[in-house]
Amino acid sequence: MEIGEDKKTQIDIDEQGELEEAVTEGLAEYVDVVYLEPAKTSFYRTPGGVIALKLEDKTYPRVNLHRAFPFSLGDKYISVREGSGQEIGIITDLDDFDEKARGILKEELERRYFTPEILCINSVKSEFGYSYWEVETDRGHRRFTVKGRGDSVIPIDEVRYLIMDMDGNRFEISDIRKLDRKSKKYLEGMI
Amino acid sequence: MERREGANARIRMLTPYERAEEEIKKTLPEEKVLFFLPSDMSLQGEFTKGWLAVTDKELIYLKDKECEEDQRLEIISKLSMDSLSNVKAVMLVGGGQLEAEIDGELTVLVRYSSGLQPRYSQLERYLTRVIDGEQVASIPDIEESTCSKCGRVFPDESRICPNCINKFKVLLRLLSILKPYISLMVGTLAIFWILTGIRLVMPQLQRLLIDDLLRAGKKDLNLLLLYVGAMAAGRVISVGLTIIRGRLMVKLSNNLSRDLRNMVYAKIQALSLSFISQKKTGDLMNRVTGDTNTIRSFLERHAVEWINEGLIFIGVVIILLISDWRLAILVLLPAPFVVLYSKMIWDRVRSMQRYERKLWDKSNSILQDTLSGARVVKAFGQEEREVDRFKTSAYDFAKATARNEKLFNTLYPTLGFVMGLGNFFVMYFGGKLVWGNEMKLGELVQFTAYASMIYGPLQYLSFIPRWFTSAMTAAERIFEVIDEEPDVKDAIDPVRLPRIRGEVSFDDVTFGYQKHEPVLKDINLNVQPGEMIGLVGHSGAGKSTLINLLNRFYDVDEGSITIDGVDIQQISQNELRSQIGVVLQETFLFSGTVWENIAYSKPGAKADEIIRAAKIANAHDFIMRFSDGYDTKVGERGQRLSGGERQRIAIARAILHNPRILILDEATSSVDTQTEKQIQEALGRLIQNRTTFAIAHRLSTLRNATRLLVLEKGKMVELGTHEELIKARGTYFKLVMAQREMSRIRWIDG
Repeated sequence: MEIGEDKKTQIDIDEQGELEEAVTEGLAEYVDVVYLEPAKTSFYRTPGGVIALKLEDKTYPRVNLHRAFPFSLGDKYISVREGSGQEIGIITDLDDFDEKARGILKEELERRYFTPEILCINSVKSEFGYSYWEVETDRGHRRFTVKGRGDSVIPIDEVRYLIMDMDGNRFEISDIRKLDRKSKKYLEGMI
Repeated sequence: MERREGANARIRMLTPYERAEEEIKKTLPEEKVLFFLPSDMSLQGEFTKGWLAVTDKELIYLKDKECEEDQRLEIISKLSMDSLSNVKAVMLVGGGQLEAEIDGELTVLVRYSSGLQPRYSQLERYLTRVIDGEQVASIPDIEESTCSKCGRVFPDESRICPNCINKFKVLLRLLSILKPYISLMVGTLAIFWILTGIRLVMPQLQRLLIDDLLRAGKKDLNLLLLYVGAMAAGRVISVGLTIIRGRLMVKLSNNLSRDLRNMVYAKIQALSLSFISQKKTGDLMNRVTGDTNTIRSFLERHAVEWINEGLIFIGVVIILLISDWRLAILVLLPAPFVVLYSKMIWDRVRSMQRYERKLWDKSNSILQDTLSGARVVKAFGQEEREVDRFKTSAYDFAKATARNEKLFNTLYPTLGFVMGLGNFFVMYFGGKLVWGNEMKLGELVQFTAYASMIYGPLQYLSFIPRWFTSAMTAAERIFEVIDEEPDVKDAIDPVRLPRIRGEVSFDDVTFGYQKHEPVLKDINLNVQPGEMIGLVGHSGAGKSTLINLLNRFYDVDEGSITIDGVDIQQISQNELRSQIGVVLQETFLFSGTVWENIAYSKPGAKADEIIRAAKIANAHDFIMRFSDGYDTKVGERGQRLSGGERQRIAIARAILHNPRILILDEATSSVDTQTEKQIQEALGRLIQNRTTFAIAHRLSTLRNATRLLVLEKGKMVELGTHEELIKARGTYFKLVMAQREMSRIRWIDG
């Protein structure tokens, strides 16, 4: 995607001098890691429901948030990117932001990394190489299908598990110890 | 898309589509639903049952009406199509959202879970085209990945639901393949029955021996010899027959799996490229090897065995009931528990073994990683850490194995005990019967002998459904390939074209791998014999597709391609391809010798022909530097060849083939200048007097081309000589300029 666009801009520029400049400028951008300071940034939700960013005097009408370490560091090191995919900068820690901004950012992250928490496993049935799960999550009742048996239940640490279904949906169990006995038994059968 | 078909007859639940259609018809009578798909998530990320209907005028969001029994959907919101622009189905992690600009304001319209992404992407394309004012006729259905009958997922990208296939029909078909071996089969079956008979008769002899001889007090040595002799003979015969049976079964199953494997392989070779490229290589390989093996082992071990075991079971139960129905019931009483218990044990053991297997794999992959990455480990001085890592995983594995073995060794003997439980009752009550003279001792012995015979078959039979299902699914997967009709078919009465001149023409050719998404649109091109056409364009512009069509790996959707005025669909595929030579981007050499690889295009070529071809291809000299010359092995275990060497061998192959039409696909890439010069020289010789189509990403390699065809998004944008196109300052000019810059930058960086 990005490469394609680069090429296009290069083709559009006929003058050689201009082109060279554009390339070195691009390189300089790659080298620097830009950290977004809470004081200089202001995130807000547009009426349409997307996140916009005002960075000093520049406004980005739509930004995307990507976690750099979604499993290991969660809400730390978040890359803020333009709609086109270009990185604007990195947020080191959400906790550095005031409550309002943090609320907006957290909500957006939850939207992008949609991972309902499994509260209770009603049943797991394995048949012909797939297992069919029926669970209660914090987002409501859900049925899903997991390919294979154990490979799609991924341990993040001792007690935390991520389950990936065949379509790419994700479900989380943040603490296996907090599950009731029946759910735990179902889960253990699948690990 | 859910359709209305099958809505006749029985009263049933209306599909959401029908409910939506009804609702829209009621409130918005002028509109027609064109596109309908679920949105299973609210904008706040709660799972809901929402639906998105697209009519010719509007996007309508509907939801189940709460607390109502009449299955109605409620229209929640509407959006006029005119206000929309820039529709995008954005894929997020674990879900996605449909976004659009409504009067310039970027807005999230609906959210959905990951599984719906393909359908929303399709909607995005559809809406984009509608907004652009294009006429969009029909919307193709997306292939469902779940069985429409039972909702289970089709395994391994097939279309076969292991739950819903008609297993007996498949079995019958499998048996029809066995036809040539009918005598073999009848023989094995006969042996099975004799063996079953012997097994059932043995306890009878035991009873006779005890009751008629031992207990009766007759000291008839001859009769004793006769009984013992008969029993011994029975044993000997059954051992002999078992041996013969085993040998026959192996022969039968091996022949059958060989036949199946050949059938699948031949079929795959015959099928068009579109089928092969749709499936994963691994999946196809699996059907040739894995599935046929599953069937073989099923036939070998179980196909006849289960009939046999079933017969024994029924026979024994009947005999038991006849001998003494009260005792029989005592014996059979624990049967259901035994079946359940053994199933439970086996399930447990299997899941434990799977866990063990996983740890084993993990430990293996550490070993493999560190051995193949030994240099890295040593370079960073991480030996100790690797040793620790391996130790941990080896410890885990040992622990799991020990636990599994312990559990297995505890559970398994208890199974034997439970199976024998009925015998204690039989001994007790049977003993009382013998005292009361209601039963003879021999009868009791015979009874217990029979009783011990039922649990083996019972346990065995409880596993049969699983084996049967897996074998029949495998068979069905094989039949799926065998039944596949090639998309590209030979004409019934093909036109003979033994030696073509090489005039190629494309007339209004339109083609898409999926019909609704054309990759090539309205291509018109007339190529004279001996011309070289360079194909230019970004990747994805349709260059390779054009070549695929010329080779007739696919058939055009519209228009036609002719060679010497004959439509290529009228020429037999073999004859067509025997006159088209290909030198591909990634030169593929088969494992074998250099000789065999060059001669692949012309089996039986003579030595001097080979040498001549190699010389023309500038390959002879490097081949002669190998100590084994033309007999040098190439491929996985042979001599390693550089990219340039491989390409020259491929060129030699093409020269030997001597085709009238030549296809070069980026024949020179990533080789040093000297080698490139040699390759260019060889190619220069190869293309003489041949119609040539050449794809090159590096435009400098196309300097020999007579004309250049510039493609952009499947459309022909320019056609002409290098000079003409440079003068025109169009797409080609821009490409050339951009590439010059790129190579300059590379040069500076390097």
